[in-house]
Amino acid sequence: MDYLLHLLILTFIFSILTVSLNLLVGHTGLFTIAHAAFFGLGAYSSAIVGTKSNAPFYIGFVLGIVLSIVFSYIISLATLRLHEDYFAIATFGFQMILFAVFQNWIAMTNGPIGIAGVPKPNIMGWVVQSHFESLVFIGVCTIACWIFINRLAVSAFGQVLRAIREDEIYTQALGKNCFRYKSSASAISGAMASLAGSLYAHHMTYINPARFSVTDSILILSMVIIGGAGSRLGPIVGAIILVTLPEALRFLGLPSNVAANLRQILYGSALIVCIIWRPQGLIGKFSFRKDENS
Amino acid sequence: MKNKDQNNIKLSRSTKKRKIILETKCLHKHFDGTKAVNGVSLAIEEGSIVSLIGPNGAGKTTLFNVVTGFLSADAGKVVFDGIHMISKMAPYNIARLGIGRTFQDLRLIRRLTAMENVCLALPNQKGDKVIGALFGRRNREEKRRRAEAMNWLGYIGIGEEANTLAEELSYGQQKLLTVACCLALGSRLLLLDEPVAGVNPALAEKILELLLRLRNEEAKTILVVEHNMDAVMKVSDRVVAMDEGQIIADGKPKQILESAAVIEAYLE
Repeated sequence: MDYLLHLLILTFIFSILTVSLNLLVGHTGLFTIAHAAFFGLGAYSSAIVGTKSNAPFYIGFVLGIVLSIVFSYIISLATLRLHEDYFAIATFGFQMILFAVFQNWIAMTNGPIGIAGVPKPNIMGWVVQSHFESLVFIGVCTIACWIFINRLAVSAFGQVLRAIREDEIYTQALGKNCFRYKSSASAISGAMASLAGSLYAHHMTYINPARFSVTDSILILSMVIIGGAGSRLGPIVGAIILVTLPEALRFLGLPSNVAANLRQILYGSALIVCIIWRPQGLIGKFSFRKDENS
Repeated sequence: MKNKDQNNIKLSRSTKKRKIILETKCLHKHFDGTKAVNGVSLAIEEGSIVSLIGPNGAGKTTLFNVVTGFLSADAGKVVFDGIHMISKMAPYNIARLGIGRTFQDLRLIRRLTAMENVCLALPNQKGDKVIGALFGRRNREEKRRRAEAMNWLGYIGIGEEANTLAEELSYGQQKLLTVACCLALGSRLLLLDEPVAGVNPALAEKILELLLRLRNEEAKTILVVEHNMDAVMKVSDRVVAMDEGQIIADGKPKQILESAAVIEAYLE
């Protein structure tokens, strides 16, 4: 039962990641390969605050969110003036830099060994101990994030993002400061990924850099694409599929190294099949294929 | 042998003085040695329809792009309603000042409805900021937007297509929709790039009637790039002819048609 609850919790956490990434990739049309870096930023902020100080747990959350907003904005300044393909490359660079920091700043992050003993959240005396309590807490956070993103998506703000996705030049001619919209979407997306990271750190009580690599950024991106970029529920469907289905490999009794590699093959194959046969994703409407959008 | 003056050749001008809403002074724009706009000085009177004609590559669309900030001038000034614009103003700021434009390649947000396209253009929306989007009274704001958008769609004559996706509208209706977006933006000066090109005669007539109504009823100033000389003759108060980045003639439509320089460069 605990295992199922843990799986559900991971699904919720990845849902926050996919829903937040959807704002940037699905609605704004900006590919980023740095979402796991922001995920890690939140996780490490909470882990460091939780293990090296007596500060309340929400300080780690806030620190991670603030750092993510600052870094998102810095990346925006440097990269949003570039063509969108170069934006993706630049975010890849940021991902590599942050992973290197997680891996090598041993004094702060413990390097590859990671940080253990991250305390459970203490919310005004209520310590979120059991898996079920974690599920409730993280579930509420997930729903709140989904409502937040969807409220933005259905508003005039979201409409401008989708206009930027389709034709940025024309959107500028309508008096919209496209840079401001893109940097706002980037900041919100990064902040929410950081929140997911903080929740992850407190739930797992142990983190290491391996979970915040470029592979994970691509995995989160795959979830959004496979589920359906630009749709309300597509990212959540993608998270459910790519978190839970590979777990089925456990029941095949394969050796762990084989299962791990097979998992990667499954992720990659699912992405390729989706792009070829259903580029709008399982329940999405927006297709990344150019001829379907012109 | 072409006989081009370096300065504007004014065949005749109306003696009635109106406020100058847009002025370019010795505007230059070069691309790898090609002088796309070469010392263009132009003054557009408020409340008039001015057509810009000339062969392909004359610099007409480049002039539009410089005026609207999509290209930066190499030299010269652009003044809109007394404001010196050329100093690094971004296109969105120029649009907010009151200059709306359409594009030669008909740009629209195709996967939004006609209504949504016009709503997008509305300025000063609370819901297009993050705080407003999250905490604003969405229903009230949405009603206001839709009412205003319907108003403009009705004005241009495609109110019944409000809920049709822009990509499903006819080409002529799409052109009308781009004008509606400029009006929703609150533009006082409309730069229309080939508004009747590729449109059937009936709809072209409708578009021309709309331009006249905009001038007469809404006091809009309209600068039109057009190759359709019938359309030009029908709506223009003044015609400016360009060739090789320079103005070669400037005056009343009939006089431009009779200009030797224009005939040689463009009409033959």
